[in-house]
Amino acid sequence: MNDEAKSNCPARTDGEPTATRAAVPMVIFVVMLLLLFLGAVYFDHHSGWFDAKVYSPYVSAEQLELYQPKSGAAAAAAQGRKVYETVCGICHGVDGMGKPNQAPPLAGSEWVNGAGFHRLAQIPLLGLNGSFQVEGRDWNLNMAPMGAALSDADLAAVITYIRTSWGNKAGAVSADDVKAVRAVVGGHPAISAAQLNSIPE
Amino acid sequence: MKNGFSVFMAAFIALGLSWCGFVLGPVEQLGTAKQTSVLNSSDTYPVQRSGDATLGLQVYRASGCAACHTEQVRQDGVVCEVVLINTGKNAAVVSNLVSTLKLDGLTKDEADAVSDKITTAGGKAEIRIVPVGTDIARGWGVRRSVAADFLYDYPVQAGSLRAGPDLANVGARLPDLNWQLVHLYAPAAVVKNSAMPPFRFLFELRKLGDAPLPDALQFPKEFLPPAGFEVVPTPEAKQLAAYLLSLRADAPLYEAPFTPVTTKP
Amino acid sequence: MNPTETSNNLGGASVLASRIDASCRVPLLALFGGAAVWLVVGLVLSLAAIMTFHKPDMFADCPFLTYGRAQAAANDALLYGFCIPAGLGVMLWIFARLSQTELCLPLVPIVAANIWHLGVLVGTVAILIGDSTGFAWLEFPRGGSVLLFTAFLLIAISAVATFGQRRERELYPSHWFLLAALLWFPWIYSTANLLLITHHPVRGVAQMAIDCWFANNLIFVWLSLAGLGTAFYFLPKLAGRPLHSNYLALFAFWTLILFGTWCGIPQGAPLPAWMPAASAAAAVLTLVPVLAVAVIAVKTVCGSEAACNGGPLCHVKFGTAAFILSGLMLIASACPQFSRVTEFTWFGPAQTQLQMLGFFTVVMCGAIYELLPRVMGFGLPFPRFVRLQHWLFMLGIVLWAGSLGVGGVEQGMKLGNSQTAFADSTGVALIFLRAGTTGLFLILLGSLLFAANIFVMTIKWKIALLKSLLAVVKAPLKMEEVES
Repeated sequence: MNDEAKSNCPARTDGEPTATRAAVPMVIFVVMLLLLFLGAVYFDHHSGWFDAKVYSPYVSAEQLELYQPKSGAAAAAAQGRKVYETVCGICHGVDGMGKPNQAPPLAGSEWVNGAGFHRLAQIPLLGLNGSFQVEGRDWNLNMAPMGAALSDADLAAVITYIRTSWGNKAGAVSADDVKAVRAVVGGHPAISAAQLNSIPE
Repeated sequence: MKNGFSVFMAAFIALGLSWCGFVLGPVEQLGTAKQTSVLNSSDTYPVQRSGDATLGLQVYRASGCAACHTEQVRQDGVVCEVVLINTGKNAAVVSNLVSTLKLDGLTKDEADAVSDKITTAGGKAEIRIVPVGTDIARGWGVRRSVAADFLYDYPVQAGSLRAGPDLANVGARLPDLNWQLVHLYAPAAVVKNSAMPPFRFLFELRKLGDAPLPDALQFPKEFLPPAGFEVVPTPEAKQLAAYLLSLRADAPLYEAPFTPVTTKP
Repeated sequence: MNPTETSNNLGGASVLASRIDASCRVPLLALFGGAAVWLVVGLVLSLAAIMTFHKPDMFADCPFLTYGRAQAAANDALLYGFCIPAGLGVMLWIFARLSQTELCLPLVPIVAANIWHLGVLVGTVAILIGDSTGFAWLEFPRGGSVLLFTAFLLIAISAVATFGQRRERELYPSHWFLLAALLWFPWIYSTANLLLITHHPVRGVAQMAIDCWFANNLIFVWLSLAGLGTAFYFLPKLAGRPLHSNYLALFAFWTLILFGTWCGIPQGAPLPAWMPAASAAAAVLTLVPVLAVAVIAVKTVCGSEAACNGGPLCHVKFGTAAFILSGLMLIASACPQFSRVTEFTWFGPAQTQLQMLGFFTVVMCGAIYELLPRVMGFGLPFPRFVRLQHWLFMLGIVLWAGSLGVGGVEQGMKLGNSQTAFADSTGVALIFLRAGTTGLFLILLGSLLFAANIFVMTIKWKIALLKSLLAVVKAPLKMEEVES
């Protein structure tokens, strides 16, 4: 044992081993902090943040949701929402609450929640002019036939979407239903509220 | 550290932390799990095994099968593929378009873009979710194993060594009862170069009576038992075979989604 | 200090040391005697299990030795039958020596050792007859595990009492490691048993998570704590240099218990992603304590004038090197890229065997060879066996763990290619299993030498005890003068 080691140890007279007081090299602390950082980054990217449903190879709950296969009904709902948000939501609001001086609300609207769909389907197909009452409020605007350019499937999806969202609990509408309505009234000029009321639902 | 108490506290904290993470955590998250539902269906999953199969799990445990076999399928990734369902009105245009597009090995965003292109051209396309991985490519499963697959098992025999193939879906892959029993009695009879030891103690070699017993094993030509004898499974063998036949994990779930392919080529 | 004082102190110290050693005699013999038997039994069962791969037909008609049962029994016999009692026995002696007091409550470890070995016997037989619990490394059913738990607590009482009596109040690094080990085992063992082996176990795959946590904390953390505590005592003592250094050992202790305990969950497990991710991150961090231990060991031993000659110092040095290698294997197998190849292959068992046999068993054998002559008061009956065993173990472990490791990687590469037939992966592994079996056989020979030394020492001691008893009985009675 050299002198340096001797002075570095607490004295023990009983022949039992002793330990030096040499300092821990700084390098190993740096390595540990680096590995802690890398480990934290890895955990952030791969853990799904403790979600019980996220299994590798998925890395987050959002990604897992994204990769869910859509069944027929679910696919239509997803499509309906997409079409609504691009075509109708600008005026009627993404939340269906409408915008003053622009478009009446669809949420809770008696026109949307009707038992049948014939009256409702004509609004996007033909457009609507003149004075119009929705949920007790008067609206006097002109709506272009925004749904005329949509395919039967897309229009059906959007009508189904508005009839089943934001608390509305009306029935779905199929592409064939829309096709039938379009066959009868397609190409006619915009209607008014009075004309709408004369149509059976 | 200064004294025994501080050593105790250090060990207590360190072990306490991992106890919270890997004992309390799984118990909270998974220990109270209930049946879940199959994706896009009202069926519940998993289905409780039959009586024989439940007893078979105990034979599996007692024989130490988990020492060589795993029951967990891994998954390395997931891809989307786009499948044309309907060419619509402009059949020629849509078909031309489809022939120029890449239809498989896509991410979800790419698949959405391809599907939109087809839809605007007038056709109708479906996006299929396809799990990928080596285990899946080997035919050992269609999706990865998840907690729901082991809900009713006690003890869970997920295994850790593949000295033999993975068994998570062996009931779907090899659904023949006789094959399973013959394989247990003499693996070399049905699997070439099998490393598996025979489990003859699960069977009885009986003298043939007037007619062969209905339970008796049917062997391939080269491995027939000696003349005048037949091999009959004991109840343990039948239970084990029932358990193996009950092993399947091919229902799509929220946590392991895939588009089931209804017709196989 | 003047020379007379020093020599007086040393003389006094050596008298005290021999009293301390003598107080440990019976408890340690009770622990080590059974441990030596289980080492041999465990290795024989291991050999029987691996024979299934060379000749599958061997135990086709014998349910007791079918691979699944024999392998589980072998693993548990080695771990619970040899590793833990040997570790506890060495721990008792180290505590007594560091405390400079005789072993406290010596009757308690004697009773506990017998209970422990009975528990291992009950458990091993239960596995062989088909009553195993089905959980890896926890196969002993309730009867055996209760005996083990009780015995461990009893030994811990004696160890803590001895520790509490210490005159030198400052703790030596071995104290931290060994005291932590005394808390670790009862906590993980009771948790695992109460949650898994009960009438109302946790449901579903949570069982797998808890079993993996338990196995990692027992095989990696507990064996490391007990083994390093022992190595940090014997390396400086045998090398004649102080341990380098107190603070680095403290750092190694803290990082080992903080990070090592999280390592258990395999990467492909059917568990939510956060569990394998946490284990992977923890495994990479375990590089820190492994490096720290490497630095401590190298700096303590290098420059020492102590000759090796296959003696106890050689054992402990080899064992510590095996620890570092097994730690690196553990870290590698948790990295996702590597685990994709090595998961479910023989690489995992290679790491476990290297930790259990290569590191722990070798360090314990070295420690026992060093302390047992002092404890018994006479030398080893076969001193040449120490060197022979060292070479047999070294060669055997390199062959056994090395073949399994390389075989596992080869097997994994074949498994990873879905176009390759499955039988190819088992075929390539078989070649390495053959080489590994040779290694296992060499380890068994080495363990027989170890057992021979312990066995003959016990017999010699018993004969000496009997002779002294007979001498007392035969001594002429002292006639007392009759008062007239």
